[in-house]
Amino acid sequence: MGPQLSWYLALSAILFTIGAVGVIVKRNVIAMFMCIELMLNAVNLSFVAFSSYFQDVTGQLFVFIVMTVAAAEAAVGLGIIITIFRNRESLDVDDANILKL
Amino acid sequence: MSTLLFIIFAGMAIGCAIAMVSQSNPLYCAISLIGVFISLASIYVTLAAPFIAAVQVIVYAGAIMVLVIFVIMLLNVEHSEPRRKRLKFLVPMAVGMAAVLLAETAFILYSVQTSANHFTGNSSNVGLTHSIGEGLFTRYLLPFELTSVLLLMAIVGAMSLARRTTILSATARVIPGAQVLAMHEVNPRAIGDLRPVEAATSEEAAHLLGVEFQSNRGGQE
Repeated sequence: MGPQLSWYLALSAILFTIGAVGVIVKRNVIAMFMCIELMLNAVNLSFVAFSSYFQDVTGQLFVFIVMTVAAAEAAVGLGIIITIFRNRESLDVDDANILKL
Repeated sequence: MSTLLFIIFAGMAIGCAIAMVSQSNPLYCAISLIGVFISLASIYVTLAAPFIAAVQVIVYAGAIMVLVIFVIMLLNVEHSEPRRKRLKFLVPMAVGMAAVLLAETAFILYSVQTSANHFTGNSSNVGLTHSIGEGLFTRYLLPFELTSVLLLMAIVGAMSLARRTTILSATARVIPGAQVLAMHEVNPRAIGDLRPVEAATSEEAAHLLGVEFQSNRGGQE
């Protein structure tokens, strides 16, 4: 007997939770970015698990699309990070507070 | 056997994820994240999804993480010294939110557990490249095309964001009157001096900045 569907969902939820905690706790903008990637991967895992268990290819197609979105996010996000670093000379998110009241 | 593999790779993934969140150096963070990606790719192989596993390794661990590490190296951030504490309520809030998420997960798993659903095996060709390509180009053609548009927008956005501002002429940088320059107009690297310049006139500001001032108003007067 192999692992059940709920095991994969539990793993996915744990990874998502770790990523969400990281986004809140981290201060380095690159580390926050990587935590967001971890959350996307957790969702991908549950997509693939459902797709395999119900023998439907749709889940894996959407994993493909999520990966494309992650790649686009990486390009644009890292461009924003480089621009912030040029203007503020810092990667700390607390230093990018010019819109704060 | 598959249970053992799942436990090994799930443990690797969770361990690497926790290591990623607890690291303070972004480079070690990135390497731990690559560990998570690799173990997730292994789990995809055990789930009979070889195409997704390959794409996971090639796109995530290969392309995205190389881009992230490239940016870490490019910005050359030294190890951040411990700074003042900000917003003390954030860590308890994170712990509370994690507890809520995990409780929610446990509740949902409890309901899923009752409807036991076992993996039926590799009998079909669901995870193979052929079926994914067939689905992508027939039934899900519109999302596929939208994805290509998204990639095009990402290319344009990344280029326009990361582009270094061109070095403007002296008259464009030094504004007569208030002498307040936007940060993106003054290129700190090009000037080599981050101190603000206070001056009453354009000539004075240009002299302080060490650039040659050309008045473009002279011809009009």
